[in-house]
This record gives sequence, structure tokens and C-alpha cells, in this order.
Amino acid sequence: MSKKTMTLNLTDDEMAALEDLAKRKDLSKTGVLRQALRLYQLVDTRTRSGEKLIFEDEKQDKKSEIVVL
Amino acid sequence: MTSERINIVRRSDGTTVDAELLSNLDANDLLLVERQWEASRHAVHQKLLASGVAKKEWPQSLHWNWSLKSGQLKQLAIRGFGITTEGIWQAVCLTDCVSYTCKALGNLGKPLVYLDYIEVAPWNWTISKIGQTARFGACGPILFDRIVQLSREEGFKGRVGLHALPQAEQFYREKCGMTPLGKDASKQGLMYFEKP
Repeated sequence: MSKKTMTLNLTDDEMAALEDLAKRKDLSKTGVLRQALRLYQLVDTRTRSGEKLIFEDEKQDKKSEIVVL
Repeated sequence: MTSERINIVRRSDGTTVDAELLSNLDANDLLLVERQWEASRHAVHQKLLASGVAKKEWPQSLHWNWSLKSGQLKQLAIRGFGITTEGIWQAVCLTDCVSYTCKALGNLGKPLVYLDYIEVAPWNWTISKIGQTARFGACGPILFDRIVQLSREEGFKGRVGLHALPQAEQFYREKCGMTPLGKDASKQGLMYFEKP
């Protein structure tokens, strides 16, 4: 697949979060952003089709719905 | 879609046959797969019924329909791969790069390529109870190796996960070097495997 290059401007906090995720997920920063885009598209598609995104904490018997912009 | 030349094996005489390994399939490819396989799948079903073969011994993907899976390829997370020879699809698979992460303790939470569906064409099934031997071999291992390569391309270091149909467990354990990590109640009790 051909690829295109773009410049990304991030704040210090955003860059720190990206670097932390890259370290914990054993990925490059590009890899993290690529995964984030795929996940965002998947969530957007499913919520637009009427499904809900819900986080569940089984230990505390709590559920919370995430509203995706 | 990209392609590379490979060889598969004609089972009847052991000779190699030129074939293509195709990456990044689109929805139309899966529609064509189903059109090419549907009649053969139906014929196998009829032979199994006529021969009185117990249902538990039927190929466990007999009911699959690739045209119903074609819409998934609109998602960036989903990729399709397949093998053709002389324009006929011999095997196909779908992967998911975001919906699953590693469960093995050493890699817990790290990304992997999840092999969601993989199937060879119905004429490539060996079903001794109805006297059918596979026409072409090596398709499954070639596709699996391509998925491991995809995992490396994605920066996932070769990590692959899947839930195996019972008839395929031996293949994943012995031919693919995967580790069984227990049956998954959320996936009809199928055994979950990972390749580190």
C-alpha cells in the first residue's frame, strides 16, 4: 500500500501521552496513531449504526456509556 | 490490492502449481469468492447428507458465507488476504488489527493481528468419509505465514491471535507453533491460541 506523509503538531502533554502509549504498547508513535485511527473509525461506524460503546467494571458492578464525538 | 507469486501443491501428483498471494482484498473479491465456492460447498453438503456422515464430522466452516463478511473490509482495521490460481480463489482470510490484544502474560495488552476467519476452498477440503481429497495443498500455511508477516509490518513483532475451530486446533498447535491459552466462553467455547 502506498503511504503519504503529514506533519503533526502536538502539545508537550499530547506528545508525552503518545510516547507513553508507544512505550507501553511496544509500538512506534506512528503505529499508535495508526491504531488510534482504526479504532476511532470502528467505534464511529458502530455507534452511527445504533450500537453503544460501554465500559464495564465487573468488580464494582458499574457500567458507563462512552459518547463518541 | 497487491500480489506476489507463490507455489501451491497439487495433491494428486505432488507437483507445484503457480499461484498468487493477494493482499488487501476488497468487498468485490469476497463476493467473487462466494460465487466460486457456493456450488462446491453445496455439493459437499449434499454428499455428506447422502452418505449419512454425522454432523459433528462435517467441515466446521461448511455454513460460512464470504459475501456476508465482505462489508467488514470497509474498516481500516480489517484486512483480507487470499490465494488464487488461474483466476480461481483457493483460500482466503480476514484479519482484525484493533479488536483484540495479547492475553499471554509476557505480552499482556500488546497489539496483535487477530485472524478472524480463514478457509480454503471446498474442493481443498479432505473429507475421507465421502472420499474427497484436497485438490491443492499448502494454502493454509502460506496464508498463516502472510499474517505473521503482516504482524511484523504493523510493528506487532509477529504476534498473532485466533479462536480455533476444534478441527483446526492441531494445525495451529503443530504446524503454526501457536500456544493454546484456554477455551473462551465468549466465543462459543472455542480454544484461544496465540503466537508470541
